[in-house]
Amino acid sequence: MAACTVYSTQPLRTNISIPTSSKTHVGFNQKQVVFYTTTKKSSNRRTNSNNRRYLITCGAGDSQTIVIGLAADSGCGKSTFMRRLTSVFGGAAEPPKGGNPDSNTLISDTTTVICLDDYHSLDRTGRKEKGVTALDPRANDFDLMYEQVKAIKEGVSVQKPIYNHVTGLLDPPELIKPPKILVIEGLHPMYDSRVRDLLDFSIYLDISNEVKFAWKIQRDMAERGHSLESIKASIEARKPDFEAYIDPQKQYADAVIEVLPTQLIPDDNEGKILRVRLIQKEGVKYFSPVYLFDDGSTISWIPCGRKLTCSYPGIKFSYGPETYKGNEVSVVEMDGQFDRLDELIYVESHLSNLSSKFYGEVTQQMLKHADFPGSNNGTGLFQTIVGLKIRDLFEQIVASRAETPVGAAKA
Amino acid sequence: IRPVQASPDITGKVEESIKSAEETCAGDATSGECVAAWDEVEELSAAASHARDKKKTSDPLEEYCKDNPETDECRTYDN
Repeated sequence: MAACTVYSTQPLRTNISIPTSSKTHVGFNQKQVVFYTTTKKSSNRRTNSNNRRYLITCGAGDSQTIVIGLAADSGCGKSTFMRRLTSVFGGAAEPPKGGNPDSNTLISDTTTVICLDDYHSLDRTGRKEKGVTALDPRANDFDLMYEQVKAIKEGVSVQKPIYNHVTGLLDPPELIKPPKILVIEGLHPMYDSRVRDLLDFSIYLDISNEVKFAWKIQRDMAERGHSLESIKASIEARKPDFEAYIDPQKQYADAVIEVLPTQLIPDDNEGKILRVRLIQKEGVKYFSPVYLFDDGSTISWIPCGRKLTCSYPGIKFSYGPETYKGNEVSVVEMDGQFDRLDELIYVESHLSNLSSKFYGEVTQQMLKHADFPGSNNGTGLFQTIVGLKIRDLFEQIVASRAETPVGAAKA
Repeated sequence: IRPVQASPDITGKVEESIKSAEETCAGDATSGECVAAWDEVEELSAAASHARDKKKTSDPLEEYCKDNPETDECRTYDN
C-alpha cells in the first residue's frame, strides 16, 4: 500500500548524514529511508559523479491513522459489530497481550478499538456521590479524549487510562500505538465537536426501546437478582440522560443502523424478528450509499418465492430516498429473517454499491460468523455492509494521500 | 439450555447493586442518586454478560488441543 517516491539528488562531497526524524518516538511510523552509492574512483571519466544520493519518501497512508466513531448504548451489540468490522480487515481482534486483564481495548493487525468509557472523569463511587450517570457529559473527560485521539491520528503513541468495568475504578494507563484504523466506540464519540471533527466516518447504532427491552431481558434474566421490574426500572432511570446526551448524536452520524420491531407480524413484542434500517447520509466524501435495484427510486421488494425459501413471516426489503434529521439520506430496510443463510447470496446479488471485492463477499462474511447474534437478520447484514464500506473508505483515503507526493515529484 | 453464570463475584455485585438501587429509589425515583444507582446496575450487568460470553465459548476438544497440539487427536498438517 506504500507509495514511494525516489528523488535522486546532486552529489555531495562529504559523507551523507542520515536525517533523524523529529518524531523518533513514533516507532513504526518512520517515513524516510536514505540510500547512497559510491562508484569506484578508478574509472577515468565520470569522476564528478562519484556520490549519488537517493532519498526515498514513502507517502504511505499508514503514516496517518483513520478514525472511525461508533456510538451506541450499552448492551446494544457494539461488540458484535466490532467483531464483524475487524473480520472484514482480516485477523481476529484481541485484548493487548500481557497488560491489564480488564483492559477494554481490542487490537488486530490493522485495527485498534478503544472504548470511550476509559475517558470517564468520575469513577463509579464518584458518579454515585454526585448523582450523575455515565451518560452525563460531566462524568467524562472530553479534553483528554480529544487530545489523545488527535495524537493517535497524528501518529503519536499515548498512555490511555483504563476504566475497569468490574471494579468501577480507573486503573493505571496502557500504551496505545497508532494503528492504521482507530475505532472509538462508546456512548459519546460524536458529543464533543472537537472529537467529532477528527472522525473520518461515524456510525450510530439506534436500538428502539421495545427491542432494547427484549434484548436486556435475554441478557439479564440469566443473572441472579434481575427481575422484569429491575430491568424496566434500569431502562427507565437512564432514559432522560440517554435522550438528552446520547440520542442527539445520531444527527451527525454518516450511517445509522436502526433496529425496530417487525411490521410483518401485527402486535409482535418478542423482539425476535426485527426490522432493520440502514440510513446512509448522501454527499459524504469517499462513501457512496448502497442501493436496491435502482439508485434514487423508492422500491419495496419481497424476495420470497421460487428462488428464496422463507417461512412465516417472510422477508421484506425496502429502499428509498428520505430526509433524516435535516439531512438527505438513502435508506435500505430489511424486515424479517433468513432461514438459510447461504441463500443470502440471492439478496446480495440485487444490492448495488456494496464495495465488495468479489461476488458473494457479503454472504461469505456472514457465513464466517454464523454464530454471532443477528446473523439471520438485517442487523448482521447491514453491519457487514458497513464494514465493507469502511474498508472502501480507508482504501480511498490511503490512495488519495499516496497520490499527492507522487504528483509533487513529477512536477 | 442451562444459563451460564458469570463468575460469582460479579454475580454477587449485580445482586447487591440491584438491592441498593431499589432501596435508594424507594424515596424518590427521579433523584440523581437513584438514577446513578440504576446506571451502576446496567454497567455491572453488561460486565457480567461479557464475562459469561467469554466463559461459554468453545469446544472441549479445542480447549484440550490448545494445550496438547502434539497428541493424535489434535495434530493437523497443512500439507
